[in-house]
Amino acid sequence: MIEAFRVGAVSRGRTLWEGVDLAAGKGELWVVTGPPSSGKTLLLHILRGERRPDSGDVVVDGESLYRGSPEHNRRFRALSGVVPELLPAEPGKTLEEMFLLSALALGGVTDEERKGRMGDLLSLVGLAGAESVEVSSLSVSERARAAFAVELFRNPRALFLDMFLAHAGREWADRMGALLRALAREEKTILMMERRLPDEWQAQKAPSPLSAGPFTLYRVGAAPRAPKEKGRERQSQSSPVSGTAEG
Amino acid sequence: MRRETAGRFLLCFLAALYFLAMLLSGGVNRFLSGQYTISAILHVGVPDDEGAGIAGKVAALPPVREAQYRDPEQAWAEFLAAYPGLGSLRGEGENPLPGYVEVRLRPGWMSDEGIAAVRSALEPVSQVEKILTGGDAMQSLLRMKRWANALLWSGFALVCAVFLAFLVMQEKARATRLLPEVSFLAGRGVPEGRIASMRTAGAVVAGSFVALLATGLAYAALLLAARHLPLVRVTVGSAEELLGTGSLLPACLFLLCAAMLQGLASLAGWRATFPKGR
Repeated sequence: MIEAFRVGAVSRGRTLWEGVDLAAGKGELWVVTGPPSSGKTLLLHILRGERRPDSGDVVVDGESLYRGSPEHNRRFRALSGVVPELLPAEPGKTLEEMFLLSALALGGVTDEERKGRMGDLLSLVGLAGAESVEVSSLSVSERARAAFAVELFRNPRALFLDMFLAHAGREWADRMGALLRALAREEKTILMMERRLPDEWQAQKAPSPLSAGPFTLYRVGAAPRAPKEKGRERQSQSSPVSGTAEG
Repeated sequence: MRRETAGRFLLCFLAALYFLAMLLSGGVNRFLSGQYTISAILHVGVPDDEGAGIAGKVAALPPVREAQYRDPEQAWAEFLAAYPGLGSLRGEGENPLPGYVEVRLRPGWMSDEGIAAVRSALEPVSQVEKILTGGDAMQSLLRMKRWANALLWSGFALVCAVFLAFLVMQEKARATRLLPEVSFLAGRGVPEGRIASMRTAGAVVAGSFVALLATGLAYAALLLAARHLPLVRVTVGSAEELLGTGSLLPACLFLLCAAMLQGLASLAGWRATFPKGR
């Protein structure tokens, strides 16, 4: 369970937002939308434990990421994956090398296992046989999908995606959305930062905007819950996951 | 990357060559020990077998590399070669020169202590009339030897310092290039210490290969030079000496130190780029 309590951020002496609340449990897919330069990436970094918020706190599994032990923070980052807005593309770096890094971060992966899983994941995101392709030669959509596959390699418990659907492109948004919902059904927590929710998603399931201010938060396709958890789920959905813009 | 490795190899080769040459030559010790002799002049009339016996006993002393008995006839021939035209001194009479024992010291014993040890061993021998060790000039020669050796070892220290600085600079540049990978791993919860230790271990292994190759090549170059260049033979030693265990052990030690140095340089370069607790 990832919970943000009254989180606020200041950038270049300007309060970007404050009082953001969020609670994302297992098997939940959340989309945070907001206009350009509203601080979506910053919120993602804060929720992932990479940047201390200027106010408020982020708690994962009952322990603060920032006031708790550094080991808890590190463990959370090890168990979660992040798809950046733009996958860094150094000249000469191939997709296989990205998977190698991912395998190194995971540890204990045999060469055979790595190659097998790499092939499967690349096929899943429509990049079959692209192992030896240089990252710098990929299109924006291909890079986004490649970064997603690289993260899925570690089978993370939580996934943070920054502008993934926007970069994956209209052609791939449906397929990737289906994949994300499938991942949510596998009890993974998924948090996405997007400029807007794809129209198709709204048509399929009309999410109710849960926030005001710079961000609008949508909860999409929650996995079926056990009866005893339903109360908590309702509470989570109805809680004011809000943000107040300043400046 | 290839140019970096080539530069590293070249510096390691130079350091290995310098180290092995210094170790085997002892700086200027071997050259001086080849030039310097202690002469024990025997009394006139000492039989040849006694002279040879004294030479044998002196040769067994630890500081002595070689002791040879020269009989009076050999002494006379050497005298004539040095001072031609003085043959009339002998006339029709007997050889006026006595036999003597020529002593050469080991390079490592080219010191006051080595000379004193030989002198004290020869002084009680009744057949010995006089011991020639170079007198006061020897003191200044030994002082100059110490200075020359210090200068040569300083040169080695300088080569090592340049090697280390080069390594740290290389490693720092490499660490900077690895920034995206490090950020990726750190962002996925890989402890910074683990990344640093993995990298250091990798540097030690890679450094061992470079050092092994460089030391091997330096050894081969010295062997080849000792076989074909008399100057190297005189100052560093013969090929046979180079192949002895006395030089193999320091070569192994150098190899180990070079590998460790590369590991440490990797860590230093890493820490300079990614300070602890940043």
